[in-house]
Amino acid sequence: MFTSIFARRPHSRLPHTGRLAALLTALCAPVAAAQQPAASAAPPSWQQGKGAEHASSTLHPFAPHLTGRPASELPIDKLKVPAGFKVEVWADGVPEARSLTLGDKGTVFAGNRNLSNVYAIVDRGGRREVKTMLKGMSAPNGVLFHQGALYVAERGRILRYDGIEDRLDNPPEPKVVVDNLDPSKQPGHFWKFLALGPDGKLYFNIGSPQNITMPTYMQAAILRVDPKTGKLEDYALGVRNTVGMAFHPVTKQLWFTEHGRDWLGDDLPSDELNVAAERGQHFGFPYCHQGDTPDPEYGKYRSCAEFTPPVLKLGAHVAPLGMRFYTGTMFPAEYRNNLFIAQHGSWNRTTKQGYNVIRVSIDAKGNATSRPFLEGFLIDEKGDPPMWGRPVDVLVMKDGALLVSDDYNGIVYRISYGK
Amino acid sequence: MTHRPANARRAAAILAVAWGALWHFTPATAADAEAGRKKAGGCVACHGPNGNSTNPAVPSLAAQPGQFIVTQLFMFRDGKRKDPQMSPVAANLTNADLDDLAAYFSAQRPTVAGGKPPADRMAAGRELAQRHNCTACHGPQLAGQQHIPRLAGQQAEYLRTQLRGFKASTRFDMDGVMTSAAQPLSSADIDALADYLAGLD
Repeated sequence: MFTSIFARRPHSRLPHTGRLAALLTALCAPVAAAQQPAASAAPPSWQQGKGAEHASSTLHPFAPHLTGRPASELPIDKLKVPAGFKVEVWADGVPEARSLTLGDKGTVFAGNRNLSNVYAIVDRGGRREVKTMLKGMSAPNGVLFHQGALYVAERGRILRYDGIEDRLDNPPEPKVVVDNLDPSKQPGHFWKFLALGPDGKLYFNIGSPQNITMPTYMQAAILRVDPKTGKLEDYALGVRNTVGMAFHPVTKQLWFTEHGRDWLGDDLPSDELNVAAERGQHFGFPYCHQGDTPDPEYGKYRSCAEFTPPVLKLGAHVAPLGMRFYTGTMFPAEYRNNLFIAQHGSWNRTTKQGYNVIRVSIDAKGNATSRPFLEGFLIDEKGDPPMWGRPVDVLVMKDGALLVSDDYNGIVYRISYGK
Repeated sequence: MTHRPANARRAAAILAVAWGALWHFTPATAADAEAGRKKAGGCVACHGPNGNSTNPAVPSLAAQPGQFIVTQLFMFRDGKRKDPQMSPVAANLTNADLDDLAAYFSAQRPTVAGGKPPADRMAAGRELAQRHNCTACHGPQLAGQQHIPRLAGQQAEYLRTQLRGFKASTRFDMDGVMTSAAQPLSSADIDALADYLAGLD
């Protein structure tokens, strides 16, 4: 069953809005290309919407090192965290580590986007053991542990592996939660992030098929599925692509990051941090970007005033991905319920920015303020590549430490405080 | 001592062995060019001494970006890029093999495969390369970068075959860039580009 929210009146919390997102990284659609070797000769998603003025641009997405790189070869000592904090390598040898989730028994699971694995990482007396637990999957970017089961979101379906932590060496046959989420089989922003709602439903994205085109009704959206019944609903529209969602620990509202479109120059549009206060809101894509900037092509069809604007503009092309509210107790009290956001970094910008983890605090009125938390991956803002590592997701551990995944190198870092 | 604890100890020992066999410890290993040289014996039989090919149909590997070599071997191993010679070779390579081979070949000095074409032929190819923005990704010297291959000095016949494959949408393409870029090329354009690129130092 698919319940449409078009029947509902689009909610507009404030005037304006926009959303968009970008493609960003590397190897933009290798999965799709592999599935469709004779795919159309249209430009790839990341080049779509590139105007004539950018024809000879040397900007390009960055590809991850597919075998990973050992931490011993990397300038780990360049990483910076605020005073009192410490950052260290928690595990390497996790090629293209993307989204993270934590099992009840302490297993950290990591997904892939360009590769096809799901890893299980176990901390055994201070050293980490890494297992390639699932192989041959289709862009298994979304991972979520809940009530003993691991949910994995591939491009086209969401699977559930029951009792997974007792079967890391011999995972059970998965149960299909929902299928047929990838009808086009075309390149596009179709890798998924998974988040658990307070309603027990799984929230996930289906992004925009290209950089800037008119999406069909299930695209550029956040959807949710009830894992008990398989009932599927759309939740938010006009979201170019979100690869990071989390529910606020107090308000229980859905917060999410969103990538803006590319090829509008170095400073437009900003990537976004959004709140979906309720079901049915439209965040502007492809008509309006960053809440206040009509798209040069699609802006004429709608007004920015119709859409929900971002809570915070994060900066152009910074590529915000995974985000979590800090619910641990290790960090100082003022960090409680702050947001950590992993920024995968800009490619569609002549002077690079991002490639960091930021901390966002939210005041009583809901105003959000951001500041850097983990820096040092960006070493040459004009370089190609400009960085040596790229944060993808963050994860709060039981002891309150924060893990950060880096798909460029296949490394997971740990940030701790005190002691 | 009863049987029970002894059995438990034996079970624990067996578990430990099984555990060690199935899991790997970090850290990952560093790429090793010398190890790559030793592993490259089978490669250079076709790809030429130090990866400088003398076979028009086989690409040179010398001075290719390491990340490009790893990526292509990875795709051959995964079955996404297919070739009768390369697919079986790549099928049995480990990640460490990929890294070592890439470290070795990327450090080798390249030679120009064939003779330099006449000046007017070079000029025609250069004009095409500019018009089609080859340098935007392959670099100002067409020496490649990161996951993008070096074209300068590559075997012309190999380049021709790849460009024809991209134009026909039959050549593996990570994200569709080359398939798209090859569409406007005529057969004569492909020939001119291949000759020009092969003639670059």
